[in-house]
Parts: sequence; structure tokens; C-alpha cells
Amino acid sequence: MSGFFGFDSNVDETFNLAGAGEEEDLAVYTWGEGMGGSLMEGGDDLNDETFGDLGDVGNDFQFSAQPAPAAPPKSKIASTASRYKPKAVADPFAFSEDDFYSSRRAPAKPAPKPATKPKAPVAAPKPAAQAPSGPVESLWAKPEAPRPMWGAAPSSTVKPEPSSRGPPLPGQIKSLEEIEAEMSRMAIPAQEPQKPQVVSLEEIERQMMAAAEPAPAPAAAPAPPPTQQPRREPTPTQLPSLPGSGYASQQALLDSMFPELGAAPSGQPTGAFPPGPPGQPSGPPQHSPEEIARMQALHDRISAKIESMSKHNHLMGNSDKDFITRIQLSQLATADPYTSDFYAQVFSALQRRQAAAAAGQNEDGPTVVQVAPGFAFGVSGPAGNRFGKMGSTTMQKLSSQVKKLVESRAAHQKTTMGTAALQGALGRVTKGSVAAPRPVLAVPTSRPELRPVNALNQQTGITRQALTRKQVMVALEELYDAVLELEQLRREMPPPVAIEESEGWNAQCAGKVEVIWRRLMVMEPLDVSNPHPFISLINPTKGQRLFPRLLRHLPPQQALTLLTLLIATYPQLDVVARPPPPPVADSSLLTKADRADRARREAETDCFLHMVIPGVDMLIGRCNLGLVAGLLGICAQRMDVARVAATRPGVALFTALLSRAQSIIRAPPPDPLNPQHVQAPDPAEVDQWNKTYAYFLSVLLPRLADLFPMSAAQKAAFGPSAYLAAGDAEREGYEMERQEAEVWGLAAALAVNAPEEEQTNLVAALRDKILHTVQAARNPATMPQRAEAKLRNVNMFLNGLGLDASMIDS
Amino acid sequence: MDEAANAGISEPLDLVKLALGERVFVKLRGDRTLTGVLHAYDAHMNLVVSQVEESIHSVDVTDDGQPLPPRVDRRNVDMLFVRGDGVILISPAQQ
Repeated sequence: MSGFFGFDSNVDETFNLAGAGEEEDLAVYTWGEGMGGSLMEGGDDLNDETFGDLGDVGNDFQFSAQPAPAAPPKSKIASTASRYKPKAVADPFAFSEDDFYSSRRAPAKPAPKPATKPKAPVAAPKPAAQAPSGPVESLWAKPEAPRPMWGAAPSSTVKPEPSSRGPPLPGQIKSLEEIEAEMSRMAIPAQEPQKPQVVSLEEIERQMMAAAEPAPAPAAAPAPPPTQQPRREPTPTQLPSLPGSGYASQQALLDSMFPELGAAPSGQPTGAFPPGPPGQPSGPPQHSPEEIARMQALHDRISAKIESMSKHNHLMGNSDKDFITRIQLSQLATADPYTSDFYAQVFSALQRRQAAAAAGQNEDGPTVVQVAPGFAFGVSGPAGNRFGKMGSTTMQKLSSQVKKLVESRAAHQKTTMGTAALQGALGRVTKGSVAAPRPVLAVPTSRPELRPVNALNQQTGITRQALTRKQVMVALEELYDAVLELEQLRREMPPPVAIEESEGWNAQCAGKVEVIWRRLMVMEPLDVSNPHPFISLINPTKGQRLFPRLLRHLPPQQALTLLTLLIATYPQLDVVARPPPPPVADSSLLTKADRADRARREAETDCFLHMVIPGVDMLIGRCNLGLVAGLLGICAQRMDVARVAATRPGVALFTALLSRAQSIIRAPPPDPLNPQHVQAPDPAEVDQWNKTYAYFLSVLLPRLADLFPMSAAQKAAFGPSAYLAAGDAEREGYEMERQEAEVWGLAAALAVNAPEEEQTNLVAALRDKILHTVQAARNPATMPQRAEAKLRNVNMFLNGLGLDASMIDS
Repeated sequence: MDEAANAGISEPLDLVKLALGERVFVKLRGDRTLTGVLHAYDAHMNLVVSQVEESIHSVDVTDDGQPLPPRVDRRNVDMLFVRGDGVILISPAQQ
């Protein structure tokens, strides 16, 4: 069990206490039924060895003629019963879990008993040896004192001994001298006369089994001798007063002197002094008829109780179920609930949003359930309904208990995880556990910033070598970590009313953004390397996927810097520098490696268009005309415009810039909601834009017709494939039209920006392409779908000039 | 330069982490190899890989014991969970 749950072995003991105890002393508490079988074991064989020479022990307690019959069991039962008195007696299992917890705080009560038991033969003679010299109290004060007496009971099988209560002892009222004298005699194993009522352990067991197995009737346990009865009687309050207090020892003496009086109120606390007058003579402890009757009644009551409880044997009560739940939950608690349960977090967030939308209420509340400062569950359901039907108070209780479990587990782990087990292990051994598995995707958050990020490349000088792939990957992982941390931080936004917290939170966020900004290496000099470190970061698809997430967090000024750098170094991008080659008519001409390479580049381009371009569009959408003009100027000056424009990312960038400029120039009607759009563009900016545009167009115009992928394909083709190029399979053809549309879009953006005379030039440059396309669209051999796409493409451009494809006569 | 990049690496799996989201080549027991995009891994080298091409290398033997030329069976899987006990090596796929 301990292996399965990962808990200390004292769990076992507590379970034994409840049910299937194998140690005799604990088993007595199980009220019989469930343990009939387990008690049949041969544990008795060693009783001799275990309990040894018990003559001493017997005498040890016999100095008090009636050694407070209830005392020995008191020490055991009281430990649980007194603590959990409020619990119904009829709930025997209630002990189990609670003991489980209590044993952590106060493990002294039930747990050590089995351990110390074997020492009994050694320990037993000791009090005897000391007895003559020591005062009486010293015996009673010893906490061990009850144990030998307890041990004496089972030993009666070996060496029939006066049991705790049964036999009448010679001197009923003893003076202190007598007692001392008796103690001095203790070395001599004086055999006391015994009563036939003394019952061996086997007999008890037989009775218990008899009560358990056949149709249980109270009569099945035939009047166990009264000697056994008081022992099972929980008399909770007596124990605390017993050890070490002089009063207790005196009381015990009195109890022993007046057994009837002491034992009379067996069910109720007997802390009070026996009411009888001290001097009252008591006859020999012959059980009077009424006492026997009383015992009988008591026994009947007890067996009836056992009977009534037995129907719950082997069933789990609510508390047992809770116990299991707690253990299971404790294993879910982790130190880093957000990252280690990331998907559960996302899922539950979505679910709660849905539920909140459905219920039309506000969705908030913690997304994790804290069980301890360092531990939490990463799951939570809809607020208020977390963990199914359990209410919030139950949840709180559960949390605190799980916290205890987890803490003790952690403490346990600390002691057991020695270094010896790690010898020969490779690398760093992570000390994960069931309770706190090491989150795989999370880097230890406390890792210090090891170096300035831009020292990733430690070469000095104006130019350096580009980052290696490994460096890029390391930097990207760090970026991802930083972004994840920041996103987590943003989710934990304090309520707006908490001003101080909000300020701290803002500062934290700003700090994280600063870290990210440094790691992005945007501020490196523009020509520091080719590709620029930032471009190196954004080249892998992993980096591209990070791009939109980064943009959300960067302040506008930094985002703008980022955009400028990106545009300035656009040609260094993998997708621009090494675009997918133009399609060939017959892919069977390609080698396998070629095909794989093409596919990879296509995939990268697609990823770039999906991940980065929307962000770029958004950033460009924030720029004013002057900025757009500046950016276009950078394009025109720093890059081979035609070459960049021949790639899809290039087309997308230029289209975005041109359309943004146009939308600013054609000042939209004043929008009261968007005040910054109201202002008309500055005439100086417009002038600057026009100049930049003119330059840009003059660079691009000669090559404009070559930008179309279909033209490029035809140009790249040779031999027979030149004729085949236009006749792709329809599926590929439609894809081709889609890509053509992007270039037509660029042409349209050029057209709407162009002044009159430039428009003529544009049409002239594209004249052949337009005619070609319109004719192909009107060709009956062309699939209607594709023809429609072709016409749409051409019209996109022509409409910008106020023309339409239908005006062209074939 | 490399030391700087190595500073963040303290255990072998930190290197595998660098390949997250990238195409990796995985050699498996039973004469299998696969390439795919690595999505997740754990300490047992359990992997989640997508766009997988798995190759099974086998050598058939004729009845008289003569080995035939090695044969490679390939199959493609969209998403694959690879149990860690079969993994021999993971490397970035050569580009």
C-alpha cells in the first residue's frame, strides 16, 4: 500500500486499526467481524518469545489488587476516542483517516506500539528490578507501565495468569507497606490462584469469529468472561490524567482497591473519584449476582453494537471515499499548475467562458485551486461548481487536507532522496515525484539570466557571423519561456481597485516585456550580420509562430521599431531569399529531394504568410502617411524591389504599404469614434509619399509583368514544358490563380495610387498579361471556375483604373 | 560563442527541447525510423510527432537463406505518439 500511495507505512497501521490488523494489540480494536481470518495466523507462536517471562509483569501490576481494569486499553482507545469523541461510536471507520492525519502530528499514540512490542521481555523485568527501590508512583508514572499489563492478557494462554480483573487477590485492601512488600517479592514468579474465567486469546478469537461468521446473533458470543469486557470499554478521559500524576496513581490504587466502584460506570468517564467512601469494606471480589448481570448486560450491549456495525464491514463510508479522493487529488497538485497543466488550463478556460456565456454571468474566479503556497491543482471547473457536487466548504477542507498530505510527502521525499540513488545517472537528475512531477515543458523559472542576450554572439566588431542554428533555437526557447511567463502574468491581472497591486503588476509586466525586447535583438545594428539576428529568429517556423504573440505585448513604439527593422532586412528572410522556385509543368522531372525541398519552402512561405504578414498588416495599419512613405522608401532603396516582389511575402508587404497609403490619402469621412483618422493627411507627407511612390514604381514597373507566378513559370520552362506550363492540371491551376490574384492585388494597389500618366504606363506594362488572361478566361476550354477566377483577377486591377474586362474586345 | 549557447543547457533533454516544433529524425528499435514535426516529449522520450513518415527497414531472406536486397516500407501518419522505450535517437532532420 505504501508503495502505491507513496505514503509512509504508518498508513498501514491506521488501516489496521480500522480493519484487518495483524498485530494483536491493534486487532483488538477492530470489533471483531472483519478480521476473523487474519487472526488465525500463527502469530501466537512467538508469544512466548515476545512476552517472555511474564511472571514479573503479572506481579508488577498485581500490587494493586485490582489494577484498574480499564486502564490498559484506555491508553490505546483513548488516543483515538478522546480526540474524536464527537464522532459517532457507530462509525468504526471514522478512526482510519483521521488517525492517518493525527498520526503525523502525534505519531506517539498508536504507531510506535508495534515497534516497541518485541522489547517487552527486556522491558518487563526492568520495572520489576527497580520496583523495590522506587516509589510506587514511579511505576505508574512510567508510560510503559500499562503496556506490560496489556501484554499480560494474551500471555495467559502460555502461562495462565490472573487476568487483569478476574481472580480475587488475596489481600483486598493493602497498605502501602504491603504493596511494597509484594513488589519486593516480584522477582519470585508467584503464581496466583486463578479463576476458571480467565480466557485465552484463542477463546476470544473464537468468540469473535463465532460472532462474525454464522448468522450473527448477539447470543453467538456466549457471555465472554467479564474480564474481557472492561478492556474494550473506551473510557476516554481517564488516560490524560493517568501518566505521571500523583493523583492518577492514587486514583488507580483506589480503583484497584474498590473494583466495583471503580469499574461501575464503565461507559462513562471515570475521571471522578469513586463515589464510595474510602473506608468502606469490600468483600472478596466475588462477583455478586447483580454485577454478573450487569456485565452480561454490558456484554450484550457491546455485541449488539458490534452486530449493528458489522453490516457496514467492507463498505466505504463517505469519509473513506473522501480519503481516497484526497490521496488522488494530492497527486494532482503541482508546484507549477499553469505550465504543467497547460492544456487543462486552456480547456477549462474555454469551458468556463462557454458556461459563463451560456449563463450570461461574469466569468472569473481562480483558474487553479491553491492547496499550499507552492502547490495547486491546475484544474478547476465553473466557479462555484468546482469539483462536482462538493460545496466550497468541502473543497476548503479538502484543500487543507491535501495540503497536509502534500507537505508531508515533500518532507518525506527530502529525506529519502539521497544522493546514493543517483549515482551513475546521466545528466541532471530531476527530482520529480508523483506528487510534484517535473513539468516537462517548463523550464525552472528561477534560472537566472545567464548573460545578456545580445552576447549570444560574442564576436565584437561591426559585423559578425550570423547566429548558428543552435543559437537560434536556444534563443527561441528562451523567448518562448519569456512569452509564456508574460502571458501568465497578464492572466493574473489584479482587480483594478487594488491600486498598489496593479502598479506592481504593471511594473512586472514591463520588466518582462523588456526582457523579451532584449531577447529579440531588434536593437542590434542593422548590418551587424547577414541575416540580422532578429531575422534569424524569425526564419524558423517556430519563430514565425511566436511573432503574433509577441506583437500583442510590445508597446507601439517598440512594435514600430520592429516593423522598420523587419522591412529593412526583408530580403534576408529565408522566404524571400530562397523562395519556392516557380512551378514546373511536369513534376516527374524533379528528384525526390527537389520535391521535398519545394514542399518545405512552400510550407515555410505559407507559414510566414499566415503568421507574420497579418501582424505586419496590423502594424502598417497604425502608421501615418509619413511613416508609410518612409517604409516604402526603405524598401525602394535597400532592396532589389523586383526580386522581393517576385515572392509572395514581398507582394504582401508592398500591397499592404500601398493600400494603407491610399486609405489615408482618400481621407475617410470623419469618424467620431476614431479621432486620429479625422485629420487630413499633412500635405508635406502627401508630397513625400508621391515622390517615394514615383520612385518605387519606376523601379518596379519594368519587371511588373514578370511578377506573376504563371509568367515566371513560363519563363522558367524550356522545351516542351513551355507549352505545357499553361496547361496545368485544374487543381494546380486554381491554386495558381489564387497566387496570381495576390500579384493582381499589388497591381491594383499600384494603380489606385498612380497619377494619371503613371496609370497609362501601368496598363502598358501589363497590357500583354491582361489580354492573355482575358482571352484565356474566354477560351471555352478553360474550366468555368478558373475562367471566373481569371476575370476576377483582371478586374481587380482594371477596376482600380475605372475599367472593366468586359470592355476588352477579343 | 558556443559556450554562450550552451549556458542554457544543463541536461540532455534540453537539447531535444530545441527541436520542439521542428522536423526531427527519430530512430526506433525494430529497424524503424521516422521523421516528423516534434510537438512534445517527456523524460521517457515519449514523443508526439506530426506529419510523420515512418520507414520500416527489412531484409527478406529467400528459402535457401540468401538475403534479398534491403527493403524499405514507408507509411505516412498525420499524428503519432511514440512510446519512449522504443526510441534510440532523436536528431534534427537534415535540411
